[in-house]
Amino acid sequence: MPAWLRGLVPVLIAIAVLAVLQLLLGHLPFFVYLASIVGVNVILAVSLNIVNGMTGQFSIGHAGFMAVGAYTAGKLSFLLKDVAIAGLPAVVSDQVQFLGTLLAGGAAAAICGFIVGLPSLRLRGDYLAIVTLGFGEIIRVIVQNMEVFGRALGLSGIPQTSSLFAVWFCVFLVVLVARRIVGSTHGRSLWAIREDEVAAEAMGVNTTGYKVRAFVISSFFAGVAGGLFAHFVPIINPGSFTFVKSIEVVVMVVLGGLGSTTGAIVAAVILTLLPEALRTLFLQLGGLGAGVSLAQKVDQIRMPVYGILLVVLMLVRPQGLFGTREVWDLLPRWIPRARKGLT
Amino acid sequence: MSECLLQASQVGIDFGGLRALRGFDLEVRNGDLKGLIGPNGAGKTTAFNLLTGVYVPTHGEIRMCGERVNGRPPHQINHLGLARTFQNIRLFRVLSALDNVRVACLSEARPLFPRERIAALRRRAGGSSPVASMMDALNNYVDWWRALLLTPGFQEEEQEITRRADELLAVMGLSHRRNEEARNLPYGEQRRLEIARALGTRPRVLLLDEPAAGMNTREKADLMVLIRQLRDQFSLGILVIEHDMKLVMGICEDITVLDHGVTIARGAPEGVRQDPKVIEAYLGDSYLAAHGMPVPPSPSNSTSETPAP
Repeated sequence: MPAWLRGLVPVLIAIAVLAVLQLLLGHLPFFVYLASIVGVNVILAVSLNIVNGMTGQFSIGHAGFMAVGAYTAGKLSFLLKDVAIAGLPAVVSDQVQFLGTLLAGGAAAAICGFIVGLPSLRLRGDYLAIVTLGFGEIIRVIVQNMEVFGRALGLSGIPQTSSLFAVWFCVFLVVLVARRIVGSTHGRSLWAIREDEVAAEAMGVNTTGYKVRAFVISSFFAGVAGGLFAHFVPIINPGSFTFVKSIEVVVMVVLGGLGSTTGAIVAAVILTLLPEALRTLFLQLGGLGAGVSLAQKVDQIRMPVYGILLVVLMLVRPQGLFGTREVWDLLPRWIPRARKGLT
Repeated sequence: MSECLLQASQVGIDFGGLRALRGFDLEVRNGDLKGLIGPNGAGKTTAFNLLTGVYVPTHGEIRMCGERVNGRPPHQINHLGLARTFQNIRLFRVLSALDNVRVACLSEARPLFPRERIAALRRRAGGSSPVASMMDALNNYVDWWRALLLTPGFQEEEQEITRRADELLAVMGLSHRRNEEARNLPYGEQRRLEIARALGTRPRVLLLDEPAAGMNTREKADLMVLIRQLRDQFSLGILVIEHDMKLVMGICEDITVLDHGVTIARGAPEGVRQDPKVIEAYLGDSYLAAHGMPVPPSPSNSTSETPAP
């Protein structure tokens, strides 16, 4: 295989596989919706893992970046709803616009990430946590009070151009990016920062620069996740991007194991499907109390379950489900790998 | 005489009211093997931290390869050719031995603007230059894309880095630990891995902070040979902090003695060993007795030049 092709092969394979899946399963609305929600959460968790896991910084405002992406992409799509690109069939034109708005959403989030990250990542310690916490809340409050973004009611009527293919291709991209980073000089520098910032700096690693870059990449993908989200839920409102959402993503990363992309994926899938599983369980147990809606019940029990899960996990496996391991470490040797310590 | 690589003149630092180091002078040239000794808390590690840019000196000036580096971030000083090890081992614990070295083996080649050009711009601007920073940022931007797209050039570079790291592991006798996590290595090997990692940054001056701490006699003897060998093989200037007198006296050609942040003696090992001030502050009479040397008339009480802390 020529060297220049090696970087592209996984992308081509992913496109083919996802296209087949889209054809087979794309017409099942509930499945697609669920898969999209799971996909968005996986993107959020994997991208947050780049900052919280690999670089060892603590960001707790991922929902803020997601909101920036969601509102930017959503509003753009809404404005472009009746515009069609000349010379293209309507479907293609829609998809091109969708792609453009996704990139715009990601870029907007990345710029926010840069602005937030540059001052706070110069410092060591927990400043980033405080700043990102503030950022998430600021974004939510801004959106809640601006007429353009529909205030507390949110934006509705965004064209639903998302698809199974689009969401999971983005999932694939973020995982690929995370993996390529880990296997490169850049990833090793990030790990070095996580392990010992002073030593990393002394070994010639520009720690501030690396932290900011990791943070910007992470924000970009959070923005993309938000953009996707805006295109398959009927309405986006500030309630979807609260502090609780940020913590949800942090929990996914910690549960999966800080630094493990595989862990982030698995934890995101589990924690997203957990409410659905609980819902089914409720129905079977006949747990529908009078006057309390099903959704409320599931929502009520979800947070305690999170809490219990985390406590149990921290007692039993402090390093998370996967620690820092990856599923591709287990692949046979002949498959090209990009992992710490192995070449 | 070869050019002066690292030069500190009248360097000092205050921590609040405490002057941890004052009037510190030092020159390290290519091929030098110098020692820095003194009792605990004398300011030896503080001196290292000043030289490497962890602390910014409040007095004096530090030059690396002729370039003033006061206030520069440590990674830039490292790029100028200064590498160090740490007193309390600071390896990247969960990374493999190989990766510890590979982190330090940053590629010399930059995709858009060569490193020398950026360094030259910084030199002209006397520290930080926005243009240089911009070039650096663009370099990095392209570099990340090369990594994400796995371009052929990037793959070659990775192989080159791995090859160099393997070489350094071999030099330090750690090839058999290549894929083991750094935290699982025995103490002596961790110390050597730190040296290998420091060498990965292509230093011209190497600062070793207590390299023999925790090593047994056999390992110490090997280390002495190794340090000399490193100096010749990589044509380095080396500065060692060490408490083991046998090692310091055995390998260093020039020794600086610190006490309470003040340089109390400097010179060849024989001279320093017999300096009354050094004996009083650091070596102690028993050291002389153990080495069969005459105990000089005690200069204490009367001529104590070291200020109270």
